[in-house]
Amino acid sequence: MGARTYNWSEIAQNPKYLELKRKKRVFLFGWWIAASVYYFSLPLLSGYFPAMFRIKLIGVINFGYLFILSQFLVAIFIAMYYTKVANSDFDRLTDELVREIR
Amino acid sequence: MFTNILALKNRISALTKLFSARKTQKVTSNLLTALMLALLLATAGFAAEPSKSMPQASVAALSAAPALQAQATAQSQTAAVAVPTPAASSPAAASGLPTRIKPNRAITISMFLTIIGITLCVVIWAARQTKSASDFYTAGGGITGLQNGWAIAGDYMSAASFLGMSGLISLYGIDGFMYAVGPMFSFIAILLVIAEPCRNAGKYTLGDILSFRTSPKPVRAVAALSTVTVSLFYLIAQMVGAGKLMQVLLDIPYRVSVIGVGILMVGYVVFGGMKATTWVQIIKAGLLMSGTVLLAFLVLLKSGFNPVAFFTDIVGNQLVQDHVRINVLKDALPKQGFDYGQRFMEPGLFLKNPLDQISLGIAWALGAAGLPHILMRFFTVPSAKEARKSIVIALFINSTFFFLINIIGFGAALYLSPQLISSVDKGGNMATLLLAQLLGGGAGSLGGDMFLAFICAVAFATILAVVSGLVLAASAAIAHDVYVNIIMDGKADQHTQVKVARITSLFVGLAAIAMGLAAEKENVVALVALAFAVAASGNFPAVMLSLFWKRFNTAGVISALLVGTISALGLVVISPVMTYPQKIADDSKKMIVTLEKKQAEGVVLADKDLKLLDKSRKDFEKNNGGTSMVGLKAAIFPLKNPGIVSVPLGLIAAVMGTLLFRNRRAEEMFDEIEVRQITGLGISSASDH
Repeated sequence: MGARTYNWSEIAQNPKYLELKRKKRVFLFGWWIAASVYYFSLPLLSGYFPAMFRIKLIGVINFGYLFILSQFLVAIFIAMYYTKVANSDFDRLTDELVREIR
Repeated sequence: MFTNILALKNRISALTKLFSARKTQKVTSNLLTALMLALLLATAGFAAEPSKSMPQASVAALSAAPALQAQATAQSQTAAVAVPTPAASSPAAASGLPTRIKPNRAITISMFLTIIGITLCVVIWAARQTKSASDFYTAGGGITGLQNGWAIAGDYMSAASFLGMSGLISLYGIDGFMYAVGPMFSFIAILLVIAEPCRNAGKYTLGDILSFRTSPKPVRAVAALSTVTVSLFYLIAQMVGAGKLMQVLLDIPYRVSVIGVGILMVGYVVFGGMKATTWVQIIKAGLLMSGTVLLAFLVLLKSGFNPVAFFTDIVGNQLVQDHVRINVLKDALPKQGFDYGQRFMEPGLFLKNPLDQISLGIAWALGAAGLPHILMRFFTVPSAKEARKSIVIALFINSTFFFLINIIGFGAALYLSPQLISSVDKGGNMATLLLAQLLGGGAGSLGGDMFLAFICAVAFATILAVVSGLVLAASAAIAHDVYVNIIMDGKADQHTQVKVARITSLFVGLAAIAMGLAAEKENVVALVALAFAVAASGNFPAVMLSLFWKRFNTAGVISALLVGTISALGLVVISPVMTYPQKIADDSKKMIVTLEKKQAEGVVLADKDLKLLDKSRKDFEKNNGGTSMVGLKAAIFPLKNPGIVSVPLGLIAAVMGTLLFRNRRAEEMFDEIEVRQITGLGISSASDH
């Protein structure tokens, strides 16, 4: 099915392709690193600065509980933001590129 | 010309097939929704009047309840290790706390049979449509993003999270909730750097991605070995957990339940391939989410939908305070001015070593992205866009699930008491089930029985879905990588490929049953730690570098997989998760000394303590001088999870191997894999949009 050969190295030099590649790389690795920093701050802070987690913010609910909760919100935010950017930007660039090559 | 026409014809028939498949899927999904709604309504009706007749007792009676450690730790490898010390140190048990949970067998088994019936119908339907290798391994790429999202969630959320994690929260408070962040966060790496590139660059297996620009035979062999190892480790842990769970809940003998679960999983995979597996996983995820949402809703209802009041009640609860003081912190007398209730909301009761947490965090963050049975799910969707959609949906489901587990866990602590939960099971694994019984109307009431039976059935469906995905991944590696591509040089027709895949699944399933039976008395905790660690240290760097590093080559892949696997394996077998008989002997000795001292002081020991003394003496006899599996008296590696060491080792090996044996061809072919990975060109269905 769809047995067509492409000139891969030629596509790899296509300016549109290079733009797509750069954009994707910056976005994906950037957000991955940022998310990881936030994620690993949880064991680091709770392990080495437990006093911070004890600060009560809303009644008996402390910083620790809210910080854990924020991890969930950050993950959902990244998923939604990425979907938005990919749908509007990456997919459009990919479609344009694919159309050009065909 | 002729081939063109043929291709066109193929495409049209594929399209019509896809269309008709969608139609049937819609009908089935409607049926399913109706069924689940009916179940939900039935249970909700019975749950309307919560009972207040809770056994009140502040005595910490930690009897020798059957510890479902395997289950607790099928995902959370540290759970079993920090289980509170048994009875002797606590005051004599003089309470009416139940020591086990008794579901209504008739109701529970009929719910099990309903699930088995529905899934078997799915298998029959799927079997008719499974004709080519692509049908068998990837459901012909005809799964939608929405369906795949539910299936990924169903593949990933295990009974351990459902039962074990809420138990952990009910006994150790916020630490249990913190524990749930790891498995939730795993999906970020998959979403951003794994799902779409893998969809574009792969076909059926891990071996397909890794062998793209390397020497296919050695790479496929090593990739298959790694896939089978990871999947079998995970599989055995699940089988042992399933056997023990059924034994405790329904008095079904261990052997019978392992064989029963095994036969079902083999049946799903052999006959229905990926299509049946996918639908079993979707059904399971639907059931699991209904059960979780309903439980959490009932907890919130009981607390008046006021989170602040809910947590204030927990902190002010006498039983929770006593539990933290006596069982966790082991303060015989309360410290002046110390708020033991608030301590439940503060970290450090369960997770004690920050370095261990970081190491575990690495395994979560990278390991899930290297699990072959998860990777395989991305090949079932037609395009990278659908792969993205599916992982976003899975992430939503997964986060909601782990968030709700926190409500269930804290609710269990408040409405059941940690004492009650730990008297039924030391590790807290029965918390969810006990809570369902209580919120349904209490033990013995019809509502309680129904809700408990429903939650048991959810746990059962969960196990079935997870093991099926694992069997499929392991047999794909053997049949597709080893048989078709190594032995037959890729020259096997569709009919043979499917036949071989089916036979392999049968044997993988039988092997898993045999190993599950043999491992009944083994400590399977280490196996899951191992599966995640191997996936994070070997598979993950290999996949990432294949996709993103130009120079990466055969030597790199092989050294990453070998060093990652061996270092993870080596560190786990010398880590504290293994069983050390000498440590058991030392603990027994301590117990004997304490109890004998009491006797010498003239205290007449209670029956329970006498039994304990006898048991401790026997344990001492049996274990003194004994060594662990690799001949150690105590752990050498201090951490329970090897990630912090084995992941860097795997990465360094990958880089060193690559640079020592440079390969021009691998570098020249990088353009191709990169363009494919980024654009999806070259994949028939992906370029159709």
